[in-house]
Amino acid sequence: MATPSAPMPRSTGKALNAWLASHVKQVRAPLSIAVAAGAVNGLLLVLQAWLLAMVISAVAIHGRGLGDVWHWLIGLIGVFLGRSLLVAVIDAAAFEAAARVKLDLRRRLYAHIQALGPAWTKTQRSGEIANTVVDGIEAMDNYYAAYLPQTALAVFIPLAILAFVFPADWVSGLIMLITAPLIPFFMILIGKGAERLNQRQWRKLARMSAHFFDVIEGLTTLKLFNASRYEAQIVAEISDEYRRSTMAVLRVAFLSSLVLEFLATVSVAMVAIFIGFRLYYGDMHFLPGFFVLLLAPEFYLPLRTMGTQYHARMEAIGAAEQIVKILNAPVAEKHAGTTRLPMDTPLEIRFDHVGFAYENGRPVLEDIDFSFQQGERIALVGPSGAGKSTLTHLLLGFMKPGHGRILACGIDLRDVDEASWLNEIAWLPQRPTLFHGSVLDNIRLSRPQADLDAVREAARLANADDFIQRLPHGYDTLVGDRGQGLSGGEIQRIALARAFLKNARLVVLDEATASLDPETEALITESIERLAQDRAMLAVAHRLDTVRRANRILVMEAGHIVEQGSHEELLTAGGVYARMNALYRGEAA
Amino acid sequence: MKDLIRLLGLFRPYSNWILGGIGLSIIVMLSNIGLLAMSGWFITAMALSGLGNQMINYFTPAASIRGLAILRFTGRYIERLVTHEATFRLLSQLRVWFYEHLEPLAPARLQYYRGGDLLSRIRADIDTLDNFYLRVLAPTIAAAVSIALALGFMAFFSWQVALINLGGLVLAGIALPLLAQRLGRIPGAQAVAIRADLRSAATDAVRGMGELYIYQASARQAEKIRRLSENLIVPQRRQAHINGLSASLTSLATQFSVWLAVLVAIPLVLRHQLSGPDLAMIALFVLASFETVSALPVAFQTLGETLAAARRIFEIIDTPPAVTEPLEEAPPPEHFDIGISKLHMRYRDNEQWALEDVNLTIPEKQRLGIVGATGSGKTSLVNVLLRFWDYQEGEIHIGGHSLRDYRGETVRRWCAVVSQQTHLFNTSIRQNLLLANPDANEEDLLDALRKAHIFDEIMAMPAGLDTFVGETGARLSGGQARRIAIARAFLKNAPILLLDEPTEGLDPASEHAVLQALETLTRERTSILITHRPQALRYVDELVLISKGRIKDHGKTEDILRRNQDVLKLVRIE
Repeated sequence: MATPSAPMPRSTGKALNAWLASHVKQVRAPLSIAVAAGAVNGLLLVLQAWLLAMVISAVAIHGRGLGDVWHWLIGLIGVFLGRSLLVAVIDAAAFEAAARVKLDLRRRLYAHIQALGPAWTKTQRSGEIANTVVDGIEAMDNYYAAYLPQTALAVFIPLAILAFVFPADWVSGLIMLITAPLIPFFMILIGKGAERLNQRQWRKLARMSAHFFDVIEGLTTLKLFNASRYEAQIVAEISDEYRRSTMAVLRVAFLSSLVLEFLATVSVAMVAIFIGFRLYYGDMHFLPGFFVLLLAPEFYLPLRTMGTQYHARMEAIGAAEQIVKILNAPVAEKHAGTTRLPMDTPLEIRFDHVGFAYENGRPVLEDIDFSFQQGERIALVGPSGAGKSTLTHLLLGFMKPGHGRILACGIDLRDVDEASWLNEIAWLPQRPTLFHGSVLDNIRLSRPQADLDAVREAARLANADDFIQRLPHGYDTLVGDRGQGLSGGEIQRIALARAFLKNARLVVLDEATASLDPETEALITESIERLAQDRAMLAVAHRLDTVRRANRILVMEAGHIVEQGSHEELLTAGGVYARMNALYRGEAA
Repeated sequence: MKDLIRLLGLFRPYSNWILGGIGLSIIVMLSNIGLLAMSGWFITAMALSGLGNQMINYFTPAASIRGLAILRFTGRYIERLVTHEATFRLLSQLRVWFYEHLEPLAPARLQYYRGGDLLSRIRADIDTLDNFYLRVLAPTIAAAVSIALALGFMAFFSWQVALINLGGLVLAGIALPLLAQRLGRIPGAQAVAIRADLRSAATDAVRGMGELYIYQASARQAEKIRRLSENLIVPQRRQAHINGLSASLTSLATQFSVWLAVLVAIPLVLRHQLSGPDLAMIALFVLASFETVSALPVAFQTLGETLAAARRIFEIIDTPPAVTEPLEEAPPPEHFDIGISKLHMRYRDNEQWALEDVNLTIPEKQRLGIVGATGSGKTSLVNVLLRFWDYQEGEIHIGGHSLRDYRGETVRRWCAVVSQQTHLFNTSIRQNLLLANPDANEEDLLDALRKAHIFDEIMAMPAGLDTFVGETGARLSGGQARRIAIARAFLKNAPILLLDEPTEGLDPASEHAVLQALETLTRERTSILITHRPQALRYVDELVLISKGRIKDHGKTEDILRRNQDVLKLVRIE
């Protein structure tokens, strides 16, 4: 009844199971302790049954009193204490095994995500990836802490019990020996058929839930069309339909538990009746008979708990699917350049006939060729999908050009030492990220050692100091995911402060598309002006007002630069840009 | 407690299924105790009579052992079917109930919950409530009744043994789980907090991967995640130890109950107050009785979660609707001009006005454009006109009648809306269109698609109109989804048109197509068009600049574009 997880084909499940099992070798020690403790516990269980049978036999059959069974009763206490100690040991050891796997897996998974880099993460849903890193890894818990040790014990304990039952009473031993393998046999037989039905049912449940929440999400739209009340009836119909079809499946699926229950109870009943009649006819002694009866239910118990542990396995496999998917994403080869950029000459960037494609044969950028240098402002304009963002991402080093080269001070970026290049860039994305933490730490992202004075100076330049001072705890106010909510304009100014503090020679800026009120807009424009001073700036622009301030405008269409020049030059040229500007003025198109 | 009673009240229509399921689980548990106890009694009695110590009629006990075994396994099967049937019926009931109560609240009252990500919270809470019967209600009641019946039976043999057994069951079923829960509360809360930090750090890292890279902070973030991950293990280890301790004490409680019961019963056997077979029966009876409480630890744990979920769900449901409907409606307006005078509106008392002193008249079949920054009050105006929110001061008239004199449903019948938030449902395109006009025939649908400039694209899809729109419209591009919404507006054929950034995020070609479509759509209707796109402004007769809830400028479109620099700043190119 838990939230539905997507079913998967058997082969995938097997491969993932093998992947899960491959982590066992690094936790062999704690797992072995857990299993060994479980095994000793099983043996003590047998001893316990034997002692209890001795007591009952002495009193009930031979009419002895407390004085004669005292030593056995004391022995029982010892067994009890030993068993309870072992139970605690099993749990603790199994926990350590799971904890070690989780720590290691999460470290590896995150390292891989980091290696995949921003070019990959921006194509993913961040919430989903974060869930895999946190909850996906946690879902491994029960697989290593419960499923693995319990599976080993489900084999060992019944065998150990059988070893003691056979010498005591071979008839009962035979009953157990014959019925036990039938349990997994029938469970697999029925399970296979039920699994197929089950998968269909999971999909149905997923669809039903999806429909219900789809309706809730679209409630406003439904109301707009006055269709919302009628929908209640549909919700009812769908869930009723689901109930009927699911019950049809469950009638079959529960047969496996029926068989389990049938074999376990009927065997106990058979053991009791067989023993009873042989005792009646004097064919056996009471002590072994009662001993076997006490062990009979315990014999089937581990097989029964296996059913519940199966869920832990399914859950882990479901989570493993997501984890493996990320781990299998190929990491682009890193060119480790070693040349350092010269600091004494002004920074000059050149795109040398650059082309790029995500998929072969579908270029996103073709033959991009331009250059700019410190002190210059370049605006990129053009419709969405023209390749503006891809161009900036190439410059930022998220991806490498497929054709041509990007040069900094005449050196191919592929040959430049990564840290030396990153030192030169500040970046303002369209929607800057506020990291969970203080405003202070957010501004000094690039220089965690920077003192408050330096940070405040950067904030002042970004026109952010005033509003930060007014926050409940000033620069120590927590922001981000679960912190103080900030407006779009405030977040932008914190990102600007970040850039000022870094004091890089190249600024890459992706203008926000959301409209700000004119006052905030003016503050941000002013601060960007300041940031552009003496730096090289490449800006993806969405407002003509911003565009006009650029030294040079690159107009992009379908992966090409179709026009470039200053505002005036482009207007005179009467091309694409001039047409866009005319629309803007409200003149005829 | 109040929430619990209210929750149970919801389940009343299915009380037969609920009680049936509980009754069956009682039978299943008792038959297992009976089976083991009877077996112990039987073999001891058979052994004694085999030794010639007493006579026995072995038919009855042998038959009851078989009978109890059959009762146990068939009972278990039927019990599982009945409890699941009950669960599914409750699930259906719960969802319909929740939906019916939520519907009048949308969208106004649900807006408050946005911060907490309403939908995913509702989802988790409803899932928790789905499990209430199976995990909490059935096991607790079944355990209580089974224990009462079983121990009542035991008391006939020996009240001392019954008391010892009761003590053990209380210890294992109630005291130890509660103790474990209590001890686990602090590490539990720590684990939740660290996990939330870890989730933030991971989300930040994925979302801000580019910034971390450029600002050379990747290594620090990785270190942060590693440290949080290690910190998380600490409270988890404590929880594991508490659970281990609780499990070991529970097993100790079970074994000591058997031990004490035997210890107490032995003298009774010697005094002939109990027979030998009774002693064997008692040992197995006590041992088997602990099955009744095995589901209680989970039940206790789930109870807390369930009540918290129920409280949150009730809290949402109990919010009063944002708009009070009039008892009697005014006659329908004869023409659809809109008059707004001195309008003041805010979302909560003591908050800033979202709309302040707004005065506007839109003559029938005229087109008004609105330009303003994000959060300036444009969307609030649409929400007020649609009767999703009420206004505090001033008045809105439609055709001379106060808007307050009409029911929300009536007003919405006159309005067609295209906005960024327009939701496409996870069903076929046809169904999505029919929503606007259930009586539309095939030709109407195709005509609407043509007018919305999406006909060719839809006809090119393999299933045409019956193409399935993926989860929240995933298989359609943003532009296609928007144009389907516009087709819906054509189908609805309402006299008033509210367009909230209808071309936002469209590529130039589709924007051009959509604007052409809108030109036809708005021609014969009273229209309000909110936009930032220069191309769209050509279609409106008058333009209003709105800022911080107030109207800053109002006039003929060309005049405004010529004289107001603020308007120009707000208008966007791509």
